[in-house]
Amino acid sequence: MTARLEKYFNAKSFCVVGASTTPNKPGNVVAYNFVHSFPGETYLVNPRGGELYNKKLYKSILEIDAQIDAACIIVPAKYTPQTLKQCGEKGIKNVIITTGGFSEAGEEGLQLQQQMLEIMKKYEINVIGPNCLGLYSPALGYDTMFLPSSKLKRPKSGPVSILTQSGAFGAAFIDQLSRLGSGQWVSKFVSYGNASDINETDSLEYVGNDSNTKMVLIYLEDFKDGRRFMEKAREISLRKPIMGIKANRTETGAKAGASHTAALSSDDVIVDDLMKDAGIIRVTTWDQLEDCVLAFGTQPLPLGDKVAIITDGGGAGVMASDMVSDCNLKLAKFSLDVQTKLNEIFPSFYATGNPIDITGSATAEDYKIALEAAYNDPEVNSVVNICIPVIPDLDINEYMKITKEIAKRKEKPFVTALVGGEEADFAAAELLREDIPVFTSPGRAVRALGMLTDYTNYLRKHGVDPSSISVEE
Amino acid sequence: MSDNKTLFQEAKLENREALLEHEAKEVLKNMGVKIPPSKLAKTEDEAVSAAESFDYPVVMKLMSSDVLHKTDAKAVIIDLNSPSEVRETFQDFMTRFANVAVAGVLVEKMVKKGIELIIGTNTDDDFGPVILFGVGGVLVEAIKDVVFRMCPTTKEQAFDAINEIRAKVILEGFRGLPAVNKNELSDLLVKISQLAWEYRDYILEMDFNPIIANEDGLFPVDARIILK
Repeated sequence: MTARLEKYFNAKSFCVVGASTTPNKPGNVVAYNFVHSFPGETYLVNPRGGELYNKKLYKSILEIDAQIDAACIIVPAKYTPQTLKQCGEKGIKNVIITTGGFSEAGEEGLQLQQQMLEIMKKYEINVIGPNCLGLYSPALGYDTMFLPSSKLKRPKSGPVSILTQSGAFGAAFIDQLSRLGSGQWVSKFVSYGNASDINETDSLEYVGNDSNTKMVLIYLEDFKDGRRFMEKAREISLRKPIMGIKANRTETGAKAGASHTAALSSDDVIVDDLMKDAGIIRVTTWDQLEDCVLAFGTQPLPLGDKVAIITDGGGAGVMASDMVSDCNLKLAKFSLDVQTKLNEIFPSFYATGNPIDITGSATAEDYKIALEAAYNDPEVNSVVNICIPVIPDLDINEYMKITKEIAKRKEKPFVTALVGGEEADFAAAELLREDIPVFTSPGRAVRALGMLTDYTNYLRKHGVDPSSISVEE
Repeated sequence: MSDNKTLFQEAKLENREALLEHEAKEVLKNMGVKIPPSKLAKTEDEAVSAAESFDYPVVMKLMSSDVLHKTDAKAVIIDLNSPSEVRETFQDFMTRFANVAVAGVLVEKMVKKGIELIIGTNTDDDFGPVILFGVGGVLVEAIKDVVFRMCPTTKEQAFDAINEIRAKVILEGFRGLPAVNKNELSDLLVKISQLAWEYRDYILEMDFNPIIANEDGLFPVDARIILK
């Protein structure tokens, strides 16, 4: 069975119903997006007629004398049912409704959504929404996000597909990704809103099959089809990582009942266990999402849980070591030749165990020796490169050059924490520009490795070789 | 002896809220689960002959749809060691519960001490039947060391769930207690999850708490099945 979203993304002709001539109005933005980016045929509808972006404005959908594969309806809620009916009469089977004011907005809206459901059923129309941003795929020139690109910056094409229940979350995260590193992140973006028809599970099914999607990021507040979602996720997570937020964690559901089991059945405890069982990497905060993208989107999976830490600050090394144990990772024990070499080369006041602490006397050359020794050691599965760049003898440009060289080898995960102020910010921005994962604290860097290693462990438990999974090209 | 389908259908026809313990154990037995030897006695003499046939000590429990929380109602008496104790308990039950509908008194061979575990199921709004495994006993709701899976669960999933409880060290042979046979335990989880899934039209919740794990195996000591 082909996932229903495929018909949307494969559309050869697209119709924007409610194409507005007023700049920056939602209907104007979507019309602009399709006229300027969509490689197929675009049709625009506005009851007043006229022209927009050198395209005819049809007064009605029914006036268009061509087959239309998909449409986006951007008209006020009260006109939406009749517009949807016209889509049905025209034979348009795949419709996105971005307008809000339905089941999320009280009794009247609920009735409108009910009317739409009847029309959908009668004409066999698939619907995304209402109350959503719809779909975005930079590679396909497909963009129903009705916020102008002067405000909402679009990330470029990349490996990550995003499913979101909340449109505002989606908009913020899309905007954020546009300025993360190279900005090349997004394969498919699906904002399904009220899920009157197509829901989180349909969306997951689609991105699971989509060969351009290498990792899946989710934002959910509740489930419409939770059982099937978990079944699909279990199957997909063996091929590509699924991660993200299930918000709405407040303890509900558990009730003092006839059984202990019912009393222990808090909704979030169940969700948490089932997500883990399905191989979904669950995070709870916004900053972790970006960390997920950076870690999974740029690094290979580790082949074990042994971490090496290189630092120029003792405290940062200690905090990183604490996080190593919090994340069920282990500090690597260096092989004998590596250890001997480190002991010989470095002065006696450097700590050459793990963490390797090259102290405030560190030079870029010291970083090169320590990082390469750790990275090349087969006993080390991943490396944390911590730098507090305030020390006098460190040439920051030379340090960045060394970091880039090792980061680009991509033989094992390599994460950097640049801690401090202006100099740290400068170096972080420089490295991130080349999609080298840099974090603002040792803890975040180690936690990113923790997520990668959790996924490795999950795959291995299910007999999948982690080196067979590749997110980055 | 009825099969499970008949048992559930009959209970539904009678509009019952729950199966009594001896019925719930019958259901488990029909799924191939080992349960402690027991007999539903209607008379004092039946109770004594049941106790004699199992060997002492025995436990006696009042079976009544009016008394679901048996421990609270002092309708469970443990560690009975002679015919006279059995007779005394039987008479005591009949006096104290003279005004409720009594199906009989369950006489059961007392299970040797061990680790107390819980397996239960519930019907979740989003995920349908789910199964719970964890540290059991009377403090279960305070300790909250439990793990959920969707029903039906595979043996691999069950095995993972067992290893996810915080107190998993108690399963490895803790302070002289015997190690829990995880293979047998995951089989039990699978069977109970199948039961919840197969009879999801009838079953709302189930509690098997405690399940005692001792050197002889795993024994569901109390059983409760709440119907839809």
